[in-house]
Amino acid sequence: MAKWYDVPGNMDSNVVYSRIRLVRNWADYPFPGKMTREQSLELTGQLCERIKDVGSVEGLKIRYGNLHQITDLEKRALLERRVINRSLVKKSDPAGLFLSDDERVSIAINGDDHIRIQAIEKGLNLSECYRIANAADDYISEQIEYSFDEKYGYLTAFPTNVGTGLRASVIVHLPMLSRKKNFNSLVADMGRFGTIIRGVFGEGSENYGSLYQVSNQKTLGQTEKDIVDLVYKAAAELDAQERRLRKEALKQRPVACADECYKSYGVLKYARRLTGKDSMEFLSQIMAGVTDGILVTDEPCSIYSLVIGSQPANLLGRAERPLSKEELEVARADFLREKLPEIH
Amino acid sequence: MLCEQCRKREATVKYVEVVNGVKTEHNLCGHCAARLDIGPFSAMFEGEFSLASLLSGLLGIQDTEKKDGKLAGVVCPSCGTTYEDFVEGSRFGCADCYSVFGPLLGENIRHLQGSEKHVGKRPGNIVRAQIQREEQASVGDGNDTQNGDIIRSLTKEEQIRLLQTRLKDALRREDYKEAAALRDEIRSQKEETE
Repeated sequence: MAKWYDVPGNMDSNVVYSRIRLVRNWADYPFPGKMTREQSLELTGQLCERIKDVGSVEGLKIRYGNLHQITDLEKRALLERRVINRSLVKKSDPAGLFLSDDERVSIAINGDDHIRIQAIEKGLNLSECYRIANAADDYISEQIEYSFDEKYGYLTAFPTNVGTGLRASVIVHLPMLSRKKNFNSLVADMGRFGTIIRGVFGEGSENYGSLYQVSNQKTLGQTEKDIVDLVYKAAAELDAQERRLRKEALKQRPVACADECYKSYGVLKYARRLTGKDSMEFLSQIMAGVTDGILVTDEPCSIYSLVIGSQPANLLGRAERPLSKEELEVARADFLREKLPEIH
Repeated sequence: MLCEQCRKREATVKYVEVVNGVKTEHNLCGHCAARLDIGPFSAMFEGEFSLASLLSGLLGIQDTEKKDGKLAGVVCPSCGTTYEDFVEGSRFGCADCYSVFGPLLGENIRHLQGSEKHVGKRPGNIVRAQIQREEQASVGDGNDTQNGDIIRSLTKEEQIRLLQTRLKDALRREDYKEAAALRDEIRSQKEETE
């Protein structure tokens, strides 16, 4: 079955995808940080059994796997695809994962908290993500008793998640807006409204590919709907500002804009070696070109699927043997040459 | 720009001080910033910046409090997490930690979250327990409170969820007349919210 990121989305939006995450804990056990290995094993086994039919809620095909029994590389590939978070990659204690065939819906067991429900949708569609995550949450709450407090709401290991346990995020592509001098002050201003923006790929303060995540800062004292609305508005505003800048640039320097897109396409089409940073930059240009209608692909396509596929652990996962740094760069160029959509 | 204290390294920290309404700005490198006398916040500039250390800075006990031993030695009886553990890792060990450390942290949680009262969704069993309690209370009082009054005290979403549970129950009992009525009620409630 096609993964959600392989399916072509709305090609003329800068919003790549939306995501809702809910964290919950089972009242019968201490939080994962304080559980013994035996308790972890017991909790993971119990949860796996009790909520095994969670897919029935949305008619999803959901499979279960033990995370402590898969390789480190597989875990890192799941991390790159946003299925699990960093602390689950590092974890050696028993942990589990329910994952739908299209990877849109996942329930991670025994990470930072006992249960982490996640739903992803292409484009700006937080309400659908929440509807699905909420349905899974309702189902699980009938199978086990949650740690819940009338005052603090859903109790979580980190006080930054307490209350609703809800993190709503939207990934937006902002190549022009992020290059503006006042981008940093825009980021700071958004903090005042209770949203955080951070780069998705890159090292240190550098960002590769201009993909940014906007999400809610607070989880307590607001209803789920308020949080979803807040992040939705912030993402829509960022998309609108980026759109305006690009429209202006396209009007003033049409040749320069087209040149950048076509050159990037040319590089990815013919390069024999690509670093992660370079591939992200060129893919970003192509993404902008497709969104702006400069590059017209023969068939609808998902550029984001190339972004995911060219990440190190996903490349290594497809290779038949371990790769050196140089071989990885060759594999990346091969992958992109093969998968790059035809344009006319 | 170079650090104004050592004049050797690049300034990466902007420190704005407001004393009696007079604002002074300092541009410092991470090294000199770490030596600033700003209590637990200095820790943020040492080495790698992490969310955990920022949290610890925000939630951290001031040195004076530590000496007084006011908060030191508070331990969660259920999981053994100490206050120091929490300050260090910014995470709780179990649900009971909230009631043990909550009163000490109320102010800090409000700073962090802007609130200290949950207003969102509640699990189904909690909602059902509340209804049961109120029903029993009204029987005990001999007070003839209508079921509808209790239901109206719930949020719209909770009302819909409750009706859905009752619908499932009615279907199980094969009481199709009630099920149809509940189905219509759910539909009208949903329309109201949209």
